[in-house]
Amino acid sequence: MTKLEQWMSTLLVLMLIWLCLVQDLLNLGYSKKFHDVILPLPVYLLVTAGSYALGTLGLRLANFNDCEEAAQELFMQIQEAQADLASKGLIL
Amino acid sequence: MATRTDQVVGFGLVVFSLVIFIYYTIWVIILPFIDSDHIIHKYFLPREYAIIIPLAAGLFLLLFVGLFITYVMLKNRKPAKKTN
Repeated sequence: MTKLEQWMSTLLVLMLIWLCLVQDLLNLGYSKKFHDVILPLPVYLLVTAGSYALGTLGLRLANFNDCEEAAQELFMQIQEAQADLASKGLIL
Repeated sequence: MATRTDQVVGFGLVVFSLVIFIYYTIWVIILPFIDSDHIIHKYFLPREYAIIIPLAAGLFLLLFVGLFITYVMLKNRKPAKKTN
């Protein structure tokens, strides 16, 4: 089973449970407060997933390991290589 | 070490997403269990907006992504295209 199929089946099961609760198909007879909380849950899941993605993005952005000296060194090596190849006749 | 701007933007994003998550959690899950004459209800919009605002924002996001893709695709057309 692929990852997509796993995710889709989990979402399908959650969606069916939510539908059952919202339509009260099991005739559990719960209070209005319960219904008020259950109803927006899919949108709540979306917002949670979105804010998790945004937060992870921000964390990774802040902790990204820029190697300044290695970048400079690489740049120098690229210049050297270009000069070397140009002297040997290869035009880039 | 990421650059100073990267760190600021990164942590700003984290704080922003935390604020959104906490506000939305209180709005959707905690408020229905608080009596309607408690003062905290003053800080939250009517609960219909808890569904309308994320859905509208999601639609706007999709619109923006679609427009961006359109823009990039239009910009990268090969110029020597002969149409009949």
